[in-house]
Amino acid sequence: MATESYDVIIVGSGAGGGMSAYHLTRSGLKVLMLEAGRYYDPATETPMFNIPAQAPLRGSSTPDKPFGFYDATVDGGWEVPNEPFTVAKGSEPFMWWRPRMLGGRTNHWGRIALRFGELDFKPRSRDGLGYDWPIAYDDLAPWYDRTERLIGVSGAAAPRGLLNTPDSPAGCLMESAPPRAFEIFYERAFRDMGIPVIPMHGAVVTQAMEGRNTCIFATPCGRGCSIGANFQSTTVLLPPAMATGNLTITTDALVYQVDLDKVGKAKGVSYVDRKTGKHHSVTARSVVLAAGSGETARILLNSKSSAFPDGLGNTNGMVGRYLMDSVGLGVQGRFPALENLPPTNDDGQGTQHTYVPWWGYEKQTELGFPRGYHIEIGGGRRMPSLGIGSYVGDDEDLVGDALRDKLRSRYGSGIGFDGRGEMIPNDDCYCELDPTVKDKWGIPVLRFHWKWGDSEIRQAAHMVQTFLEVIDRLGGTPVPGYETDGRKAISKGGEMIHEVGTVRMGHNDKDSVVNQFGQSWAVPNLFVTDGAVLVSSPDKNPTLSILALAWRSSDHLATLAKQGAL
Amino acid sequence: MEDDAPKPYVAKIDRRTAIKWIGVVGAATAVAAGVVVYGPKIGGKPGAKGYGTDPNLVEPAKAAWPRLLTPDQLQTAAILADYILPASATAPSASALGIPDFIDEWVSAPYPDQVASRSKIVPGLGELGRKVLKASAADRATALQGLHGTPFFISFRKLTIGAYYTTEAGFKDIGYIGNVARVSDPGPSEAVKAALERELRKLGL
Repeated sequence: MATESYDVIIVGSGAGGGMSAYHLTRSGLKVLMLEAGRYYDPATETPMFNIPAQAPLRGSSTPDKPFGFYDATVDGGWEVPNEPFTVAKGSEPFMWWRPRMLGGRTNHWGRIALRFGELDFKPRSRDGLGYDWPIAYDDLAPWYDRTERLIGVSGAAAPRGLLNTPDSPAGCLMESAPPRAFEIFYERAFRDMGIPVIPMHGAVVTQAMEGRNTCIFATPCGRGCSIGANFQSTTVLLPPAMATGNLTITTDALVYQVDLDKVGKAKGVSYVDRKTGKHHSVTARSVVLAAGSGETARILLNSKSSAFPDGLGNTNGMVGRYLMDSVGLGVQGRFPALENLPPTNDDGQGTQHTYVPWWGYEKQTELGFPRGYHIEIGGGRRMPSLGIGSYVGDDEDLVGDALRDKLRSRYGSGIGFDGRGEMIPNDDCYCELDPTVKDKWGIPVLRFHWKWGDSEIRQAAHMVQTFLEVIDRLGGTPVPGYETDGRKAISKGGEMIHEVGTVRMGHNDKDSVVNQFGQSWAVPNLFVTDGAVLVSSPDKNPTLSILALAWRSSDHLATLAKQGAL
Repeated sequence: MEDDAPKPYVAKIDRRTAIKWIGVVGAATAVAAGVVVYGPKIGGKPGAKGYGTDPNLVEPAKAAWPRLLTPDQLQTAAILADYILPASATAPSASALGIPDFIDEWVSAPYPDQVASRSKIVPGLGELGRKVLKASAADRATALQGLHGTPFFISFRKLTIGAYYTTEAGFKDIGYIGNVARVSDPGPSEAVKAALERELRKLGL
């Protein structure tokens, strides 16, 4: 490796790093990718048709596998051995999901691929809260188009023109699989309430697509996909990048520092090999950070020098600030109307086939909270899990054939309603270096600070009320355990795994760390292409936007490289 | 039922343990039971390790922690599991699907949820065992019916149902027909849609 000469070092291999590698290698640049986790091969490691009975504890969630045994995430999770983080005293709880595998979170993500809308880029202009992006929807739209066509996204529909819910141009999306019984069912209640239900945009190949396998409409996407029919960095971005011959991947390489040369440009990075504990420094003409919003901020904060005593690009104290997540919570309902439906195969395409985009953009004053949420709704006769016993009430005295009959009739009659809402950045949510705690290799770790704002709390309460009303209209009963008090109902910070915004882009070096191309104001051959650059955290799940932004930024980097401007 | 005595529960474990067990109870019992026998591994420690953050997902190894249930507790688990889900005309009994092994795997696991469950399940099995293992059929039935509504019964039934319906036989019994590769997803059949419309009309939707 010492003899290789690289144009770009990319730190991270998920949505941001994978897309950067895809574009930069195809632009003819020599790329070294450093991934903190292990090598991972979806073709051989995905438990495609396994059933719970084959797994320990029937595949139930454990601290070792928090999303269940078959979840694609390996070697990481809410806790990573040897790599602690802390939450400040007095802070609300914060959770931090860290995979340690090639492809990062793209291996297990929900495949919900929604575009941000025009209002999402200019929130402050609209309601005076949060901050405007340095770009508008129209700047990113062509990159959304290209991203959708590259990764394969379902959800094609006739243009609707819904406010802040962009229609993709013709040719970008594939047809979704038809709505399942429970999706037909819940749509009627929303329709009755004047709320639209539209096809979900899911990163699943639902129709013939050149160079890709089509979905087999079986096995959950969260396990990953051995045939690459949904989007994972490891199946869609890294193989073509490797095929150029321009990509070298080093795994188990935990980067902790960007190294600068004498004139203040990035000359490379330093990392510790997680297996051997040895420290290495590698060099390149430019550096791209895409380690995930938390880890990217940590690398910058740990990159101290005489020019940057508080961390690289942190002269104005902006690194780690404006940390955001999505507001999230769910309520489940049971519906007698769905009992005794004839058996049908509801495995579907992995993502929801339909969803409810936010409908209240023009009612924000009367609602009492400024930003909206969309609803992700799950149900149907899916593969039974250990929890299926909850279809029988604790007080129901059933055993034997009566129990079997009851389970058979109720199976598939539950629907779960989950809200995902926008959070407005606030001064109480940020990360910094912990002054004392270090990881196994002596590198200072992150300390998180978190506090939901009142807007988020009121939004969470509204979610619960909406779900209860829908459940009622459908003749159902809510499953106990939900909270109506927004403060109790709301997710923990970081729990939705949409943490973004620690290295935000902006108009100048006073209000941000990077420019609209993720290029560091302080060190022009340093780029950030993960969710850290986001200025707001709209209700739409961030991955598609991270991909589109990473492509746009990488294109800018490639152009500068060709001009010799790096 | 020609015989109201519970069958000795013979668990589905490795051959080596089975041979050890046969040495104890005699081959005739084992053969009569018709399945491989689960030998007790007494002394499993609560400090046992889990499967770690990077287990083989495609071919999962059998859960490695030592099992804690005694033969009597395992036998009691079989009696209770088969009381909850005896064989039906078309589906096997809970014990035939090895549900007592699962209960043992569950209560023996070192994770917090399972350790919490252990404190409910294991004493419950001990107490029930004293009432059913050597009881007459009538006393056994009374003891089992007397359990309804207790936290032990509620937990045990949930686990039994969950473990049962996450098997291929359970899928068949409950009517799960997925997990097969398809060229396309045609959506629900006309019969499903018609049934759904009838229900929606009742709801005024």
